[in-house]
Amino acid sequence: MRVFKIFLINFIILSIIVITVFNQQEVVIKIKGGMPTIPVALPKFIIHSDNIEIIKAAQKIREVLQADLKFSRVFELVPEEFYSYIRPLNPQNIFFKDWESIQSNILIVGEVASSENNKLIFNGSVYDVRSGRFIFGKKYRGGIKLVRLIAHKMADEMMKAFGEKPLFTSKIVFVSDRDGNPEIYMMDYDGYNQIRLTYNKVIDLLPSLSPDRTKIAYTSYRRANPDLFIFHIYTGKTIPISTQGTNYAPSWSPDGKRIAFCSSRSGNHEIYITDESGKNLKRLTFNKAIDTSPDWSPTGREIVFTSDRGGTPQLYIMDAEGTNVRKISYGGTYHDSPSWSPNGDKIAYVSRVENRFDIYVLDLRTNQIIKITENNARNENPSWSPDGRHIVYSSNVSGTIQLYITDYDGRNTKVLTSKGNNKMPDWSH
Amino acid sequence: MIKKLIVILLASLLVLLVLLSCKKRVEIKPPVPPPTKVEKKAMPVEEVEETPAIAKPALTEEEIFKAKTLEELNIEQPLQMIHFDFDKYDIREDAKPILEKNAEWLRRYPTVKILIEGHCDERGTEEYNLALGEKRAKATRDYLVILGISPDRIKIISYGKSRPLDPGHNEIAWAKNRRAQFIIIAK
Repeated sequence: MRVFKIFLINFIILSIIVITVFNQQEVVIKIKGGMPTIPVALPKFIIHSDNIEIIKAAQKIREVLQADLKFSRVFELVPEEFYSYIRPLNPQNIFFKDWESIQSNILIVGEVASSENNKLIFNGSVYDVRSGRFIFGKKYRGGIKLVRLIAHKMADEMMKAFGEKPLFTSKIVFVSDRDGNPEIYMMDYDGYNQIRLTYNKVIDLLPSLSPDRTKIAYTSYRRANPDLFIFHIYTGKTIPISTQGTNYAPSWSPDGKRIAFCSSRSGNHEIYITDESGKNLKRLTFNKAIDTSPDWSPTGREIVFTSDRGGTPQLYIMDAEGTNVRKISYGGTYHDSPSWSPNGDKIAYVSRVENRFDIYVLDLRTNQIIKITENNARNENPSWSPDGRHIVYSSNVSGTIQLYITDYDGRNTKVLTSKGNNKMPDWSH
Repeated sequence: MIKKLIVILLASLLVLLVLLSCKKRVEIKPPVPPPTKVEKKAMPVEEVEETPAIAKPALTEEEIFKAKTLEELNIEQPLQMIHFDFDKYDIREDAKPILEKNAEWLRRYPTVKILIEGHCDERGTEEYNLALGEKRAKATRDYLVILGISPDRIKIISYGKSRPLDPGHNEIAWAKNRRAQFIIIAK
């Protein structure tokens, strides 16, 4: 009994210590179940070339890789000045004790050489510092213009090596009026390489990028009616999917085979599922109210959607067959635009309170709600990153509508766009 | 005799001289008016006009209507837009007389087909507003149908909040933007 008491007291003291330590690590614990970020050393790359273009490209790869790792909330970078405290890196003979002394767990050794046809070769080797063990290596060859992609690919390999979902080569599709009228655009997760996808010269809305990133489903008024189309990005082919009534808010199933969307083709706004040819149409809701904004669960077995069947727009979940409908939102009179997290445990959505729109995240396991934005503006259309740690959304906080990216806890908010108005983002999963 | 004749001649000559000298004095007397002061009387101008155009037989209202293009008609906006309350799509009391007027016009021109556009203010989400805009267009159509307009003549479309009339962010702008607008698509 006495032994048990001592054990219990010890346990409590230990718990307090653990909690204090974890509190310093902030909310990371929430998602990683207590796993802090991994300190990574990313010293300057070894460059086997005198070519100034190659030297610049090597610096760029390192910069982008640093930005990606910093963004991840999985890794953290050892402060740059620490590298001057130890012996310079020799890839043939690494003194791991040096790298341990500057508190790094992981060491990334990058080497860059020039290749034929004005290309470069990047070689990344990743080591576990304590054991001195080689974890993995990657070799990329590509044109100097592709340095950002090379860095993103390396960063994705880092994520995969640590059991995380890659996200740095993912894409975000969105609507922009920068060229005069709302058209669909696509960009990298960090806002680089913004390119225009549609040229309908009317109004295009609410795009959804297929999981293989080769197609978008979207609404266009190109035929003087809000119709749903699928556009094949790399062939230029456009296929009409649903063209009666208002057709919008498409969402690709995780396997990329089906699309859930809203249509008033029956006379009322209902949720339908179809395949990418627009065939095998199946109606899921049969309710006099407005049912809209469907989004698939990562398993493809359920769909979250908005309905005002209770009087005001609220969030519901149903099975992908349309059965077993249950309400999940509470505490508010206007919720819409639900986005199911790739881990399946959270729903991000928009809630309106006194003309302000904010992004909230509902934890389906604990039923807790976290407010993500707090800026006295209209924040809309949240969409999760492929790893579920970040959210892209639109906000008019600056006066124009722009896209912002933030972490699952509302930290590290950063603007991604600046030209014209930019809205309705969808992050590929 | 000759003497007499000479005397008469001389006398007449004298008289003539006197007369001549008198005339000269009379001529000098009136002051010469300065040339600038000469006023010419303005000439009356006669307007030359073409003969009046031959009047065509007066057009009936129907004929005036027929002569107009769809574009001209839509610029004139014979059908007045109506407005809605925040988050609502039911027809307001003040919108009913407007719809009655619109229905009257539509009855007068029975070949006309219209498109009703439903619009929302920015205080709704993109998705829900697309539904709300359609509900507004539909409520407007249903009211016209009750007033005797055939549903075959009416198409509806929702623009959600993508086409505000007033880009402002205040009550006045929002009230303006919550609307159903009428476009003539056939006549």
